[in-house]
Amino acid sequence: MSETLLDIKNLHVWFKVYGGVLKVLNGVNFNVKFGEKVGLVGEAGCGKTTTMKALLRILPNLALIPEGDIFVRGKNILKLNSRELADLRGRGLSMIFQDPTSALNPVFTIGQQLYDIIKYSAGSSGQKVANKKNVALGALHEARLPDPERMLDSYPIQLSGGMRQRVCIAFAIATARDLLIADEPTTNLDVTIQDQVLRLIRDLVEKKGASLILITHSLGLAREITERVYVMYAGNMIEMAATSLLFEKPFHPYTQGLLASVPRLSGGGFAEGIPGRIPDYRNPPPGCRFEPRCQYAFEPCSKAMPPYIDVGDGHQVACYLYQDGQGDRKNA
Amino acid sequence: MPDVMDINNNILVAKNLVKHFPINLSGIFKKKWIAVKAVDVINFSVKQGECFGLVGESGSGKSTTAYMTVGMYEPTSGSLVFKGEDIARPAVKRPMHLKKDIQIVFQDPGSSLNPMRNIQNILEMPLRVHNMIKKGNSIEKKVIDLLDMVELPSHYRFKSPITLGGGERQMVAIARALATKPSFIVLDEPTSALDVSVQGKIINRLIRLQKEFGLTYLFITHDLSLMRNVATRIAIMYLGKIAEFASATEFFQKPLHPYTQMLLSSIPILFEEEAKLKPNKIHSVGEIPSPVDVPPGCSFNTRCPFKTDICFTEDPVMREIEPGHYARCHNI
Amino acid sequence: MTTEEMLTSSAIENPWARTLDSLKRTWYKFSRNWLSVLGLVMVVTIVFLAVFAPYVAPYPQHSGKFVDFKGKNQPPSWQHLMGTDTIGRDILSRIIFAFRNALLMAIVVLAISVPFGTLTGLTAGYYSGTWVETVIMRVTDVFISLPPIILALSIAAMLKPTLMNSMIAVTVSWWPWYTRITYSLASSIKNEYYVQAAELTGASKIYIIFHEILPNCSSSLFTKMALDVGWVTLVGAALSFVGLGEQPPKPALGTMIAEGVERMPAQWWIALFPALAIMFVVLGFNLFGDGIRDALSPEEA
Repeated sequence: MSETLLDIKNLHVWFKVYGGVLKVLNGVNFNVKFGEKVGLVGEAGCGKTTTMKALLRILPNLALIPEGDIFVRGKNILKLNSRELADLRGRGLSMIFQDPTSALNPVFTIGQQLYDIIKYSAGSSGQKVANKKNVALGALHEARLPDPERMLDSYPIQLSGGMRQRVCIAFAIATARDLLIADEPTTNLDVTIQDQVLRLIRDLVEKKGASLILITHSLGLAREITERVYVMYAGNMIEMAATSLLFEKPFHPYTQGLLASVPRLSGGGFAEGIPGRIPDYRNPPPGCRFEPRCQYAFEPCSKAMPPYIDVGDGHQVACYLYQDGQGDRKNA
Repeated sequence: MPDVMDINNNILVAKNLVKHFPINLSGIFKKKWIAVKAVDVINFSVKQGECFGLVGESGSGKSTTAYMTVGMYEPTSGSLVFKGEDIARPAVKRPMHLKKDIQIVFQDPGSSLNPMRNIQNILEMPLRVHNMIKKGNSIEKKVIDLLDMVELPSHYRFKSPITLGGGERQMVAIARALATKPSFIVLDEPTSALDVSVQGKIINRLIRLQKEFGLTYLFITHDLSLMRNVATRIAIMYLGKIAEFASATEFFQKPLHPYTQMLLSSIPILFEEEAKLKPNKIHSVGEIPSPVDVPPGCSFNTRCPFKTDICFTEDPVMREIEPGHYARCHNI
Repeated sequence: MTTEEMLTSSAIENPWARTLDSLKRTWYKFSRNWLSVLGLVMVVTIVFLAVFAPYVAPYPQHSGKFVDFKGKNQPPSWQHLMGTDTIGRDILSRIIFAFRNALLMAIVVLAISVPFGTLTGLTAGYYSGTWVETVIMRVTDVFISLPPIILALSIAAMLKPTLMNSMIAVTVSWWPWYTRITYSLASSIKNEYYVQAAELTGASKIYIIFHEILPNCSSSLFTKMALDVGWVTLVGAALSFVGLGEQPPKPALGTMIAEGVERMPAQWWIALFPALAIMFVVLGFNLFGDGIRDALSPEEA
């Protein structure tokens, strides 16, 4: 599997809280090949940010990982010590966060923050990076920011939301080599700027030959730039397919419900959403976690989490409805 | 207060409405005040019972307009008339019946509900302020009725907002707005902070409530697909001025103003049939000017792909291009 | 999110069940840090000793007029766990009675300065940007700049040095801190949307200040109050060290230290134990205050 950059296998993540344990991630399987653009779609509370935090090993102290592995370039990173981890982090994986305002330190200039990042990304070997300024300017230029020289001396507060996000992208690009994780990168931005930022991310990732994980709750965004999409619900990946296939023919009832809830440009109203709420992670359903809200639930659904079933063309669904190999037990 | 509508059944009429925010740029030696023209002479009217949509990006002035309607800001000049009564004053200077009749639902459910109070207290407040508790009817019953209107279980009244999900909090905010039996509700991006499956529930409920109680909505959002399904007439704002104003169908099927076309072409959509409904892709070039530094001529000239010479010297006037369809552009 | 759901929907209707659940939850947050629990134990000990001093102290009569020159300056022993002082009084008993005065002072000072400071702070915060704020805050600034000891000395010079007068002195220099803290909280809270919502609906200013803004200040205020019991004790001890406050023969921690300082280092116990007692009070309330802050913090999502 030399072409696989990232492989998360059967990951479980629990959080200790008042009154018990939140069993947030319930056996997550997720992989990304080199140079691939993958989307991770799911609603608030489904565990997508937790998954990424587990990957970057930045989970809070009350989190435990009772089971599961995360392989990056073939190495199991859950078993690395902190020096090896620092090495890994600096040289290959970077992340763009949702809120650019809080991701940037308001008391330092853009230049100062960028120099720090460049310095640390040289790895634990501590090499001096010659010409930090050129590298910094290059990153800002690639992020299509106007007047990079002046930008180096500006403070985050002087910039607009779209610019701040592009600065965060510049930070990430300055060091990303293999993988860029973009967590809701356009949520707080205007529609036209969203478009710009998204195209920028896509172009830069393609230029560097890096992989991209785009985390979003907006299906439309995922459709714009990803090649493959995972749909996540309550701590499980419940569906995965090539982007065009997923949107054309969603199999899982949750995905279908989600797509039906999106307002259409053609007018005509839209569905009521999906009844119910996400499960209480302290007491999750024993079987499929979507079962309490699923209109097609039947006997096996409450017993155990369904396995991944291939419904053709690499399209996988975790749903008992498709168990007998029939692609269309229930009309998609 | 008798309902005073004009012949066109307009419940709210704004004429030459202006809101400037002064910014003090005085140095030690010279005094300098500049005005941020948040709303720069707009005219619109809202009919009783309709859902009037206001679209725009950040800095467009849509929120400022909405806030002037509810009384959070006082207009700098111009007139704002509600049911025949002048409301161009901040809320503190308004009579109680206006405060009862015009309500607002804010965008962020996290900060629009006091985290240190429970739902019972939050919903009781408007009832008590307007003395809406009749003898013999316990206030608790009224609160339960309100929760019922938004389909929340009655035991929720003991909870604090922190324990509710975003969608539920927004439902509480809507219940609070409905408590005073208003006739006009301003909805400032009510679902922007929420997931799409929750959005469906809330929007459908809002539409049902509108029919049931004969409400008029001023609906603000940046999500054009949502607007398509909700609004009856739509105005799009840019840097404090209305660029285009039309019925919902006209707005989407025949967008006239280049800004409208740009916005529509940037929406991420999910399905092929929708792609055909979008105008051809217009990429935004250039940055949004700061509202402090509006360029002379048409304020859109920094980004417009169709600009001509006159666009730099003369500010276009709002013209009725087709019956009921207005736009402000030299080149239509 | 759903992390707070422990009660079933039927149980939640019962007010007792709700209160119990809320207490359990608060305890959980408080007790996560063992140091806070230690602080709680120390505080309970201090309060217990202060309340039941006459019954708990081994030699209660030593807290009043009592001399025993034969037994003076005794080092710690089984009869006198902390030794005796220069006129033969048991130090442990005197410390226990001194706790009474310390707590009394803290209660009186806080009972006056907290309401007054909070009210002024809320008013200044809510009316920030107007003359009300300016007037209140400038007056507050004046009072903040008064050092408690100098003020107490001046009051003592004008009136007699008594416990009451030193309490007055401390109160006068204490309330501005509450004004400051409440002012900064109130002026930022008033811009929150939920306050705007209340204003727009027409709620009265009184309602908004007390029901919307004040509850959000309560966590900081209670924490500060817990910490302040320790600090007032310390300031009170400083005052009695220089001879203000409770006059002999009534026991006060500062006075006891002053008496013992001359006898250092030979009769070290006379000064040391009262000093340790002060440290015990300050530390206990500090740890307890940290716990209060954790207990009152809102749940994480």
